Amino acid sequence: MTAEAPDLVLRALADPTRRTMLRLVSSQELAAGQIATHFPMTQQAVSLHIQVLHRAGLVSERREGTRRLYLLRPDALRPVRDLLDDLWPDALDRLKRIVEEDKRSRS
Amino acid sequence: MTPILEVTTTIEASPQEVFPYLVQPDLLVRWLGTWVDVDPEPGGAFAVDMGETQVRGSYLAVDPPHRVVFTWGIPGDEELPAGSSTVEIVLRPEGDATVVELTHRDLPVGQQAGHREGWTSKLGEMASLLQE
Repeated sequence: MTAEAPDLVLRALADPTRRTMLRLVSSQELAAGQIATHFPMTQQAVSLHIQVLHRAGLVSERREGTRRLYLLRPDALRPVRDLLDDLWPDALDRLKRIVEEDKRSRS
Repeated sequence: MTPILEVTTTIEASPQEVFPYLVQPDLLVRWLGTWVDVDPEPGGAFAVDMGETQVRGSYLAVDPPHRVVFTWGIPGDEELPAGSSTVEIVLRPEGDATVVELTHRDLPVGQQAGHREGWTSKLGEMASLLQE
């Protein structure tokens, strides 16, 4: 896993359009064109959103003839969980150390 | 409202001594992030940079010296700060010490699973992954 993986996932999830796209491909594999019918934007714009989801590892991409099919990856949120797993225990360890050091230095 | 992460630690100080570290920018910056700008009252801003991760939200509850709740999101998103991802920190006295309980809830995908159609078994798998 790369260091920027959680960031990519969080940025991909931060957009309402992309979250709707994730819902569309959560239970069935869809082609980019099928996804595009749900949004009032150009197919190029839809493709850019799909690529953001794909780069973040949130959807899988499969070629079938000239079409590309997309499906939500079940382990997609692992990088975010890993980020939080690292972030909060480390942060609370620092909080504990600093509060206790400050208290000792005051007494 | 699924807890996705719960972390607990015990600090050798009273809740009154620990609480300022959850709301004062000059104290928050020493343990939480590299840059902090906060307005610790309900509705007030909560802005912290944690290395590469920019966190933006607002305080939902500030109950000294026992409890702080703030939303946790990333810039550029209009829905995330509105309560989709939240962090609750509870300070509980235990003898001369304080038990700190931190719970991070409701990443956007998890939140929508509760009230939107179309989330099926795949998202059930995601939810269980997050609760492992």
